Amino acid sequence: MTKALRDDRGLATLETTFAITILVPLLFSVLEFGSALERWLAQDAATVQAARYAGELGGDAPDVRRFLAEELRAAGIDSDRVSVDITPSRVGWREPIRVSLSSAYPVSIPFLFSTTVPLRSSAISRGEVNR
Amino acid sequence: MSRSWVQDDRGSVMVLTLVVAPLLLVALAGVLQLGALRVAAARIRAAADLATLVAVNDQDDAELARSGALRLSSDAVDVAREYFARELGLSSPLLDRPSDEIAMAADVAAYPSAPAYDTRTGARYDRPTVRIAAEVPVRTPVFGALALRPVTMLHVLATSSPR
Repeated sequence: MTKALRDDRGLATLETTFAITILVPLLFSVLEFGSALERWLAQDAATVQAARYAGELGGDAPDVRRFLAEELRAAGIDSDRVSVDITPSRVGWREPIRVSLSSAYPVSIPFLFSTTVPLRSSAISRGEVNR
Repeated sequence: MSRSWVQDDRGSVMVLTLVVAPLLLVALAGVLQLGALRVAAARIRAAADLATLVAVNDQDDAELARSGALRLSSDAVDVAREYFARELGLSSPLLDRPSDEIAMAADVAAYPSAPAYDTRTGARYDRPTVRIAAEVPVRTPVFGALALRPVTMLHVLATSSPR
């Protein structure tokens, strides 16, 4: 056996490095995707509330956008980075109205990859304004 | 002194990591699937809540004008079922069955006047109420790959009354 193979100096460092490159990405995956799911839930909840409000106001009103921005901000989401679609923009009594939100959540896993996860939420309500 | 391979602990951390890493990966996959299931459960709950709310908002205008009393519209059950299907349709990739089918199988009940007792839950309603009780099959492919159930059945119960 050669002297190099028998020499175990630095072996602990090598093994620790190997372990860290596997364990750290796993830990960060749990944290990052957990955070993404939490944000998705918050965005879904804001979408449902906005759909109800849009139905109450009869369409895409500035008040709905303002309400949505406040709901998102309260959930720790930057509303400027969320695209909002309210269709149709004006509804009558008993007509369905759909509110859709779309955002991108950045996920970064050390040693593996960095990407963005698309988060989409939609809810349908019904117009309550008798025009 | 010469050591046998049993006594030699060089590389043991590497071996341990290689053994533990697949277990941790499985745990990670399970955690992510549980998270996705939680999102699906929240969406289904919101779908049922919104459907009952829409149905409850549909009041009998003639009765309201005549007596001032809140009374559900005669089509409240159909409206609740229709909107439950619409809301579930937005999450159709998560579901194991078509949203229309799930909504048709749901137990939707309207109690147009109060007080009323729910025939399913025994709850007393002091206002006109719409109730949805449904079993929604959600795809859980990671659980399936881990020899668990590939489809998880979520039970949802939602009631709404006007104020």
